[in-house]
Parts: sequence; C-alpha cells; structure tokens
Amino acid sequence: MSDEIDFDEILGKYHSDPYEYVDIYASHTGVIRFLVEEGSSVDAVSGEWKHVPGTALFEITRENNPKKVTALTNGVVSSIRSELEGCFVEAGAKLLTIRHPLKKKEIIESILKEVLYIFPAPERAKYFFSLDVQSRIEKKGAREVSVKPGDEIIIMSLMKRDTPVYYSGEKGVIHSVYFKPGVSVDQGAPLIGICPTEKLPLIKKIITRVKADWDQKE
Amino acid sequence: MDNLTLLSPSVLDDYVITVERPRLKNEGLGDNEKLFRYGASLGSVIRVYPSLDRAMDHAREHIRLREESRRSVANGTLILASTLTLSKGRFSRSWHAPPGGLWGCLIFADTLLPQFRNFLPLIPGIACCEALRQVGASDASIRWVNDVLVQGKKLAGFLVEGVCSPVHREQYHLLGFGVNLNNDCFPPELKGSAISLAQVLGAEVDLASFALSFFAKLRYYTGLLFHEEEQWLARGGLREYTDEHPVLKRWKELSDTPGQRVIFGYDVMESPQYEAVVSGISNDCGLVLLHADGTESVEHSGEVRYCP
Repeated sequence: MSDEIDFDEILGKYHSDPYEYVDIYASHTGVIRFLVEEGSSVDAVSGEWKHVPGTALFEITRENNPKKVTALTNGVVSSIRSELEGCFVEAGAKLLTIRHPLKKKEIIESILKEVLYIFPAPERAKYFFSLDVQSRIEKKGAREVSVKPGDEIIIMSLMKRDTPVYYSGEKGVIHSVYFKPGVSVDQGAPLIGICPTEKLPLIKKIITRVKADWDQKE
Repeated sequence: MDNLTLLSPSVLDDYVITVERPRLKNEGLGDNEKLFRYGASLGSVIRVYPSLDRAMDHAREHIRLREESRRSVANGTLILASTLTLSKGRFSRSWHAPPGGLWGCLIFADTLLPQFRNFLPLIPGIACCEALRQVGASDASIRWVNDVLVQGKKLAGFLVEGVCSPVHREQYHLLGFGVNLNNDCFPPELKGSAISLAQVLGAEVDLASFALSFFAKLRYYTGLLFHEEEQWLARGGLREYTDEHPVLKRWKELSDTPGQRVIFGYDVMESPQYEAVVSGISNDCGLVLLHADGTESVEHSGEVRYCP
C-alpha cells in the first residue's frame, strides 16, 4: 500500500463511473436459458433473513435438474452473452454482468478494499471471532486489536463443525469487519480488512475526503 | 469405574467382524468388508480414563505432546472418560457428564476434500441413532444437524471442532460425543430437555457393548464417506459434488426434521431468529426452510428447535 494516494484520480474514477460491475458465472455445467436481457433492471436478494430471492437471471439445467439462479445485487444487466442461450456451458463460464449503482458508503468501502489487506472467507459458512479476539474487541474496539500471521482470529462454523481460521497476511489492526455473526458469508467474500498501524491516518484521510467530496457533489 | 476399560482396538475389530458385518449383511447391505476397511483407522487407539476435565481439551493436549516428542498422532484415536468434570456443549452450554454415560472424543485427521466435509458431522448422529434403535429405543431420531432425540428429549449430542496441530500444522477434526446411557439425574436446567437410555428402556444398558456398537457404526459410515469420495474422484471429480450422498440418504431415513415447523437460529437458545417449516434437505446438507410468505431459504449453519 502506498503512502501517497492520488485522491483526485480515485474520486474522479468514481465520479465518472459510480458503478460496480458484477460478473455472473455458471456455478456448474449445464444448459443455459436466460431469464433477463440486456438493459433489464434486476432486484437484489431481500427480506429480514435474506430469504426473498432477487430477480431470476437464468436457468441452468444439468441431467434434467433445472436450477434458477437469482441476483444477489440490484442494478441493470449491462451485458449478456446471449449467444449462449440454449447452449451447454462449463462451470465458471461468464454469463452476464450487472451494473450496480454505488452508494457513498459502498464507494468508501470499495476504496478501502483497495488499500486494506482483505482477508477472505475460505468457505461459504458463518463466521465469528475467536474468544480471545472477541474479548479484546469488546474491551478496546476492533481498531485497537492487532493481528499477525498465524493468529487464530476467526471461527468458521459450517454444519455444526467449528474450525479455527488462522490469519495470513500483513500484520496490522482490524480496521473493517465485513461479516455479522450468524449471517452466511460466501467463499472468497471479505471477512476483515487489516491496516498496518502506521497507515491508519491515511485511511482516515481517505474516508474524510470521500465523504466531503461526495457530500459536496450531492 | 465402569466396564469401558474392556474396550481395545482388537475388541472393536472382533466386534466388527463377528457382529456388525454379519448384521449388515442380514439387512441386505451385501459385502461391506471394503467399507469397514476404509473406516478401519477409527478406534486404532483407544484410551480410557476414569475422569477428565474435557475430552476435547485432552485430545488437543495429546496431539501437542505427541508432536513435541516427535511421534505421530494415530488417526482415529478414541479418548474415553467415565466422567467429564468441565464438559460443555456448543456456545458454552452446560453438558452434564457424570458416570454412567458415554463421553469422549475422536481424533480424526482432516484428509477429506472440502466437498465431503459437510457430511462428517452427520455421521455420529447416524451411528448413535442406529445403535439406540438396535437396543430398543425404536423412536430415536436425528434433529438437524446431529442431535439424537428420544421421546422429544435429547439423548445424545455431538460437536465437531477443527484444530491445527502446534508443531507440524496438521489439521484434525475433533469429534466430541456425549450419550446419556445409565446416568439418569440431570441438573435443573436440563430436566425436561434431556433423557437417558436407561430411562427410556427402564433398565440399565451395558456401557462397553453400546460403545462397541456405536464405534463399529462410526467405522462403517466414515468408511462410506471415504469410499464415496474415492468413487467420485474416479468418475472425474467435477468441481461440485451434487449427488445425494449415501450418508445423507441414510441420515434422511433416521431424521424427523423434514416437515417440522422449527425455530431457527445460529444460537437458537440465546438468539432465535425466525420460525419456518423444513421443506427438505439440500444435497449439500443444507436445511431448506419454507417461510410464511412462501419463499424458501437454505441454511448450512445454525440449529433448530421444534415448535410444539
């Protein structure tokens, strides 16, 4: 992470294109039938327990077992590989892209994700801090809790199987926490963002600058 | 001291050959020698203690001491104690473990592929439920994920915790088990929700015999888990395992969770989240929940309590 941040460049990027482009891939092999088209608006998953599915994007059928895949984020379908309609695709094939409009908070998070060390979820599961880390957070606050490689920081809970997750990455303090206890986190999604202590002033500067700039714009 | 000291790896081997394999053959499950062979490490070492604080903690200490003395940890080591003085369930809930029950921990090297790890926590529930039915607790059933209930009360509970060994950074699963057999006094907070096998049958059971039956079944189902993994790899090992695993199939036969109206929560006792009807179990062991507004969600972590 550099000490110098070109704020104008970063903010200019978000001003000119305040969107996140979310690529959607085939989760497994199968025959594709699209349920949206380019330009379609899509709704995100919703409901108190995230139990109301988002807009159905496509149906993928393998061995006569059709599965509808729904949107997790809202936005507009900005591109779609309509040439794949009715075709058999491999797992991981890119199918469409959703252009998701970013809010101020999301822009700050998005910039922070570029400058913090992001520790991702190893599996789709529920996560909570290990007892030691949790008690240190309760006493001092997350940004006073430092972690180093090899520390047992998080417990992954899946099917009543609790597995310690060991931190690997830069030494630093827990700046951002992206999970909530009891809420499932997808594999690869960020769990925590770590910031070396000496970089904290820089992070604060980013947040202040983005807030001020965005408020001015609005 | 109870008769758990009679247990040894060779006694378990003999039980598998003379009792469990013929029983399964009589039930039409064919030649099961291969599956038992795949699960044969389970019980390769059996250590019995009169009393321990917590079997899981003792297992961690055992792993540490073995590694520090430059010796390996036997996969499938079983640690048993006649009583546990500081036992606990999940989320620091109390678990009463006086003499008369079957308390312990299995050390299981984490060699399963990620696609198959979800099935591991199902296995102790299946093995215990089968062993209970075999001795007469015919209405024993499994509540998602692996609680075993009889007459609506908890008779057995299981925990699976991961551990990374301190010296060689090997990954292990510690499978903690607690089965209320002849212990029939429960502390006030557990009265009404816990039951023992002796209370169900109206007579005491032989601890070592029950333990042999339970461990033999654990061997069979862990063998089935490894065997299915090997078969899947032989078929090409696609990115996801989407078949109905035979372990899950057996779990469904023994569980009364599908169809129940439940309260769901990550820690359902402290923080119940919502009420829904269990409409099914997904092939990756997720609980499919039908909400009042007609939508469905799938949960892979958490626990349920049945609504009265």
